[in-house]
Amino acid sequence: MTMTDFHPQVKQLLDGELTLADLPLELRAEGEEALRLLAAVDREPVTFPGLDGRVLTELGRRAKAPGFWRRLRLRPWTLVPAFAAGAALALLLARPIAPPPATTVTVRFVLFAPEAQQVALAGTFNQWDPAATPLVRTGTPGVWAATLTLPAGQHQYAFVVDGARWVPDPGAPAVDDGFGRRNSVLSL
Amino acid sequence: MKTLRVFLLLAICSTAVSAQDVSARLAGRVPPEIAALVHQLATSAAARGLPVDPLIQKAIEGSAKGVPADRVAAALRALVGQLDVAAVALQRAGPALTDTDAIAAGAFALNAGLSDRQVTALARASRPPYSVAATLRVTSTLAAMGVPAADAVDLVTQVIASGGATTEVLGLPAQVMSGVSHGQGVTPAQAAAGLARAAAARANAPGQNRSHPGKP
Repeated sequence: MTMTDFHPQVKQLLDGELTLADLPLELRAEGEEALRLLAAVDREPVTFPGLDGRVLTELGRRAKAPGFWRRLRLRPWTLVPAFAAGAALALLLARPIAPPPATTVTVRFVLFAPEAQQVALAGTFNQWDPAATPLVRTGTPGVWAATLTLPAGQHQYAFVVDGARWVPDPGAPAVDDGFGRRNSVLSL
Repeated sequence: MKTLRVFLLLAICSTAVSAQDVSARLAGRVPPEIAALVHQLATSAAARGLPVDPLIQKAIEGSAKGVPADRVAAALRALVGQLDVAAVALQRAGPALTDTDAIAAGAFALNAGLSDRQVTALARASRPPYSVAATLRVTSTLAAMGVPAADAVDLVTQVIASGGATTEVLGLPAQVMSGVSHGQGVTPAQAAAGLARAAAARANAPGQNRSHPGKP
């Protein structure tokens, strides 16, 4: 059986619209097979071995650099420019600035949606913008995929099918989104 | 006195710029009435030491999904309630644990089905090198996978008690998923129970050194 041969209700199962228990008994085996095929898709996070070690080594090296600030002495006349510099620094810190480099993980997102004309990914990592991260068709009919490099941490997301239908990832855990639907959860 | 004035000026500038930041992030993404509500809730939340980013994200998410404004407003108020409950739960475990990242993770844990007492218990268990926020997120992910909340808490605390590496804690959802994928009819709850038993056995094994838990 190819993935496009599945019964429409099994496809709904793969889209996360039905659970295995919702399927008629005669379709359960087909549903389990479809889920097994989906689970076989490699979605293991890609890590970068040794990155932590290199970062820690660099931090240690910088910490041992000559201590300019330890030699600095403040005189009364230096207070005026010091306050000015402090004010500028406070304003700078109050603005949105790029966070320090965090560990990143490359993740492949996959959705089986044979009837879809376009599929996209929206989530906390792209400000829930349905146009920001389109998925592309893979070599397997009906299977869409996108590979993203995301910062370590927790992300919530959903697939957007044909620009309108929000579908949780059937291969990922999900939580209530507060609007009566489900968001998929990815912990990296 | 002059110094005090300078610091007050800086504080006012900082607040104004933060408000501009919220406006900038919401501009063109949410209706004006939702933007105004987020401003109001965020100002109040920030004054109580709560994170404001989850509120901004939730407002943007609701609008992107085409959710009616009144429902987005209700979700935002519910989220503020969860952030408040999470902050109190973390405060019970220790004031030093109540940072905005941990509060956001605690609110997510409540949304995933954990109780405030379970959030407190996890925070108490997460002494360095374990991060409170990471521990809460892992446990919530397990709950979202279908592991009963009590079992998820038990698994994570057992692995911490056994001195498991921080990476082992972070990898628990993947381990449970693997157990479900490779086992015949194994549920997430059963896979988690198996891992918890293994961790408990390791913690009780002779010669187990528990004085330096959490190999990085």
